[in-house]
Amino acid sequence: MALHGFLILAAALAADTSGPAGAVELVSAAGEGAGAAPRGESLAPETARIVGGIIEYTRWPAPGTPLTLCVAGNAAQAGRLDAIRLADGRAVQRRQVAPLPLAIVGCQVLYIGTVDPATTRQLVGAVRGKGVLTIAEADPACRSQAMFCMNYEPRAVSFRMNIDAIARSGLRVDPRVLRLAEGGF
Amino acid sequence: MARPSRSLPTLRQLLAGVHMRLILFTVALATASLLLSGMMVIRNYAARNLQLTAHTVAYTVEPALVFGDRAAMLEGIVSVAGVGGVDRVELREPGGAVLAAWEHPHGDLHSPFEDFANGLLWPRPARHVVQRGDRVLGEVRVYGNSEGVLRYVLSGAIIALSCLGLTVIATRILARRLQHDVIEPLDHVAAIAHAVRSDRAFEKRVPASGIAEIDQFGQDFNALLAELQGWHAGLTSENAELARRATHDGLTGLGNRVLFEQVLGEAIGASVRSDVAFAVLYLDIDDFKSINDRHGHAAGDAALIAVAERLRSSIRHVDSAFRLGGDEFAVVLAPFHNRAHVDGVVARIHLAMERSFRLPSGLFARSTVSVGVAVYPDDGVSPVDLLRRADAAMYQMKRHARCEGETGHGADA
Repeated sequence: MALHGFLILAAALAADTSGPAGAVELVSAAGEGAGAAPRGESLAPETARIVGGIIEYTRWPAPGTPLTLCVAGNAAQAGRLDAIRLADGRAVQRRQVAPLPLAIVGCQVLYIGTVDPATTRQLVGAVRGKGVLTIAEADPACRSQAMFCMNYEPRAVSFRMNIDAIARSGLRVDPRVLRLAEGGF
Repeated sequence: MARPSRSLPTLRQLLAGVHMRLILFTVALATASLLLSGMMVIRNYAARNLQLTAHTVAYTVEPALVFGDRAAMLEGIVSVAGVGGVDRVELREPGGAVLAAWEHPHGDLHSPFEDFANGLLWPRPARHVVQRGDRVLGEVRVYGNSEGVLRYVLSGAIIALSCLGLTVIATRILARRLQHDVIEPLDHVAAIAHAVRSDRAFEKRVPASGIAEIDQFGQDFNALLAELQGWHAGLTSENAELARRATHDGLTGLGNRVLFEQVLGEAIGASVRSDVAFAVLYLDIDDFKSINDRHGHAAGDAALIAVAERLRSSIRHVDSAFRLGGDEFAVVLAPFHNRAHVDGVVARIHLAMERSFRLPSGLFARSTVSVGVAVYPDDGVSPVDLLRRADAAMYQMKRHARCEGETGHGADA
């Protein structure tokens, strides 16, 4: 755990000097995929709760009813995502899509399952600035430029976020959510 | 008029007592009302602060509730509740179970009394339901802290006490000045009343005062004094007149027998002390009865008045003449060292009688008198002896004059 904290600190320092200007990189330098492999189906309710919370505190320029949540690739913890009910009564409609930029048109939320990093970047790049909330399931280091990344640890499920990606997304995320993110404010 | 007894309070004590009670009442009233109104205001603000805290806590922990993050809930509560005036914050599930709680770290002031005051001031916590849309996520309960109000009451009480001290001092000074202004003029009046009563000093007057009522009182008192003075003067002069009438003859204005005996006694006393001789003359008008018979009583009165007037003009002012009754007169001559002085006076009396006087009928008449002399202590040492010797000497002289014969006396036409 101490080694992990040291690594995060080192990454923050590195980002300060070499990171993109104006962007705050809140990501860990922990090795990609190291210890981040999704485990069994048992974490689907926690995942649904976190995804629901993130959607709850995100404002779209043109909210659609119902909200379309697209799951791209093979998502291990997405089993309960269609059970999400928002406080204002909107339902969430889940759609399984192929991990291709063309296939994700019309999605308001893009939940990216286990997809190779290049494709993830491609997908995220395709929706940048178009008002799509991106959540990566299998990128605990959050290096894919997705706005939110699920973080499965042995004892808890949490999430990280990429402030730079949120700022460029065209969406408004309630700042109170930032406090809840791992390594957040 | 009885003097005020010692058990009665003085005006000064009365004023001081009234002032003290007035000050205590005023300061107590002001303190109580200020403390009460201040407590009400502070409590109102504190209540709004609690409500606002509950509201803010609810807003802050709302996402944490949505995400189910207990650590974030506590963090959110601490970030808001630490500002003060809050004793305890609870975040409860809709079911009632406590999700997160925070308690104010108690400082030195903490005591059972503070807990009691907390319960008294804030019997119920401020509540705020955490809601997302229609969904109730939980409830925030904020319990108030009485520390601020207690501190206000303590400082208020200290300030009130010092104000009380200052006011008591200031009012004592003012009261003393007032006492001086009021009591001094009254003391003047009392002193003058006492002087009038004990010394009959009716001429004294109360000086003017700077206070309208007391000045009016003083003026009335002075007017009363002036009236008293007038009455007193009238009585005195009336008394003197009565006394004069009791010792003087109404017709001639000379002293009467009563005064004669008194003066003679005094002269004997004075002569005993100074060892100097004095003389008593005894006189009567020759043939006075025939004047009355021939010319009437009015003529007799005129003769008496004329004789008295001549007698008075023949003696010095230290001597005194008396009419003893009828046509009898007496003179007490002041002490002398030479017997010739007495003879001189007798000769002057005879000479004065030579002048004629006017009768009521318009006629002029002359009277002669016979004079007998007695000298103290040669002829006697008691008034009775002296008078008897003088009387005898006069009759001897009268007989001698009759024997002399034919000189005209009585009234001539």
